[in-house]
Amino acid sequence: MKLKKLTVLSSDEISTINSASVELLSTIGIKIDSPSARQLFKKNGAEVNDNDLFIKIPEPLIKEKLKKAPNSFKLHGPDGKFNFEVNTTSTQYATIGTPVKIYDPSKKSGVRKTVLADTIKQIRIVDSLKNINCSHIDVWPNDVNYLSLHAHCIYQWVHNTRKPYGLGCLGRLASQDMMNMASIIVGGEDELIKNARFIGFMNPTSPLYLPQLMTNGLEVFAKYKQPTIIAPEALAGATAPVTLAGLLTQINAEIIGGIVLAQLFNTGAPVFFGTVSTITDMKSGNAALGSIETGLITTAIAQLARFYNIPSRGPGGITDSKVLDVQCGFERLQTLLVAAQAGVNYITCAGTYEETLVEALELLVIDDELADITKRLIEGINVNEETIALDVIEKVASSSKKGVNYLSEAHTRKFMHKELYIPMLIDRNRRSTWRKKGSKDIIGRAKDKVEKILQSFNPPDVDNEIENKLLDYIKEVESRTLENYKKAEGISTGSVSLPGADITIKDE
Amino acid sequence: MTLEDKLKELISEWDEDGLKELCSTSIESKEAKPSELLKIIGKIMQFIGKQFEDEEIFLPDLIGSANIVKNVIDDILDPAIRQSGESKETLGRIVIGTVEGDVHSIGKDLVGSFLFSNGFEIYNLGEEVSAATFVDKAEEVGAQIIGLSSLITMSMGFQREVIKELNSRGLREKYKVIIGGSPTSSEYADEIGADGWADDAIEAVMLVKKLLGLN
Repeated sequence: MKLKKLTVLSSDEISTINSASVELLSTIGIKIDSPSARQLFKKNGAEVNDNDLFIKIPEPLIKEKLKKAPNSFKLHGPDGKFNFEVNTTSTQYATIGTPVKIYDPSKKSGVRKTVLADTIKQIRIVDSLKNINCSHIDVWPNDVNYLSLHAHCIYQWVHNTRKPYGLGCLGRLASQDMMNMASIIVGGEDELIKNARFIGFMNPTSPLYLPQLMTNGLEVFAKYKQPTIIAPEALAGATAPVTLAGLLTQINAEIIGGIVLAQLFNTGAPVFFGTVSTITDMKSGNAALGSIETGLITTAIAQLARFYNIPSRGPGGITDSKVLDVQCGFERLQTLLVAAQAGVNYITCAGTYEETLVEALELLVIDDELADITKRLIEGINVNEETIALDVIEKVASSSKKGVNYLSEAHTRKFMHKELYIPMLIDRNRRSTWRKKGSKDIIGRAKDKVEKILQSFNPPDVDNEIENKLLDYIKEVESRTLENYKKAEGISTGSVSLPGADITIKDE
Repeated sequence: MTLEDKLKELISEWDEDGLKELCSTSIESKEAKPSELLKIIGKIMQFIGKQFEDEEIFLPDLIGSANIVKNVIDDILDPAIRQSGESKETLGRIVIGTVEGDVHSIGKDLVGSFLFSNGFEIYNLGEEVSAATFVDKAEEVGAQIIGLSSLITMSMGFQREVIKELNSRGLREKYKVIIGGSPTSSEYADEIGADGWADDAIEAVMLVKKLLGLN
């Protein structure tokens, strides 16, 4: 049978947490500083306080809107050929993180600042991996002006991968740029809305706050039906109660608040029921993403997501280590195995270490292999007449030959790929063979694979007309000032017109 | 589909009956001479060997394909070559086996399959092979090389027995003796007076080529 799902909450405990989160949302509420979002809640029957900015969401509205979130949706690559489905029963693997540095053993510190060339390499490697299906502007191009960074990254996306892309819901203006550029690439807004290309990332701020920049971006992503990950990074003991049940109650309310808002923006907007919550390290005050408690929280969120029938997202393959050492290895497998066993539908953070602040392309290809290992574990042991193989045992064992074995049996060949995971980076050679192959550790072997992928990479073709339109669009984005962005987000007085943003919101 | 493609498909599918039939009909219809078929099959096995070396296919794929090809050569191609009076091209004849006191076969079979896929004619004598049997067989088939395998430390000593047997019959200079297996080493090969040691199948091919002056 297949492996049973890992669970940490009984069905009664799920109900208890759900009730407590609903009570929290309907009596205390959640802070929303966007006036238009508050207005939308007010119109739909929520009690809005314009002084403390808290909105209290009545239980019926929560229930109704949670039901509107779809339980499956598809993501497509730029040309629409590559696609995968996210649903409440399968598992997809992806990146996500905020690496501003990258592994570089030639530097004394072991790391250096990331640049656009690294961003491109990461996108290309994800494109060629078997299991990691989406890159999420993980590798931060420090050599690009941050105000136009999203535009440059989308330009690199279409030039370097066939897979979908992830971006932060970083405000209305930047998010609208993302939709406009994607529309140029895919041949119009209708196609973009019909076949999503982007995954947005919307972080509630714990405790109980949906910040304006994020809700502005969420509105745009919801309008264009691009799936958004609603994922608080609450820290038990610092930004949430130290008790994991308390943290879960709070982040459940935060996620529900974000999902209800997404459905108010556009009914049926696809969302992930997400988490990247963990505990506070009580020695340093830091987040402890590689901790086993991260796994407990992620598992509980996967259960709550199933309770609401919405696809879940959680971190796996995540570590707090500063070097590629044993801690880096066991924390990434520990968090990955737990997330996979918990049945998380979208497992993220491949390729990162040091709390996702640093990228190693070597880890990215290793994580692709770890994804295979977790898949094998989940498959469990298949018991039937053919796998019991009585006839094969009889044939081989009763052979008159002396050195009998199963290696050249058709049965072995038929089942070896199903029953055995054959790793490509893990070393199982004898010492002498390993030595002959250069005495490399797994990082060395992964480096070889990274180089091989990058050397043989074949970039997709981009139509000339699309290319010119994108370059023009980037020029327009580059001409903006910080003040332009502030105005667009309603953070500053005055206003700025949004290029192309004239799609109507389908509001109930 | 060319004859080579058809042969390749049957070999990679382990279709021994299909392969035998195709070889027989090709010879009968004079589409290909037996020696030509042997050459094509040799080329295919070399391709399969390369795939194994590059980790594109795995142990069972290599050993299984080599096994059925060996049967087809023994049952169809060799008799046909003898009948036609053609001479058989080979890089060399090698007798291999696991020495007395040891029933382990996997490493030895892998070495045999890999040598075979690289164009050598292999006489795999199996396991627990006595020193006399090694020498008798080498004499019988006109081998150039005798390959001795042992996995357990206790059986290593029997590798020396084969060399003693050659010496006692005055045949030592006639054959190159190579050894392999987990507990063995190049130092051990020197110690017992063998001509070479290989660490794995890939190295074994290089060693044999070197000993036969094929490089």
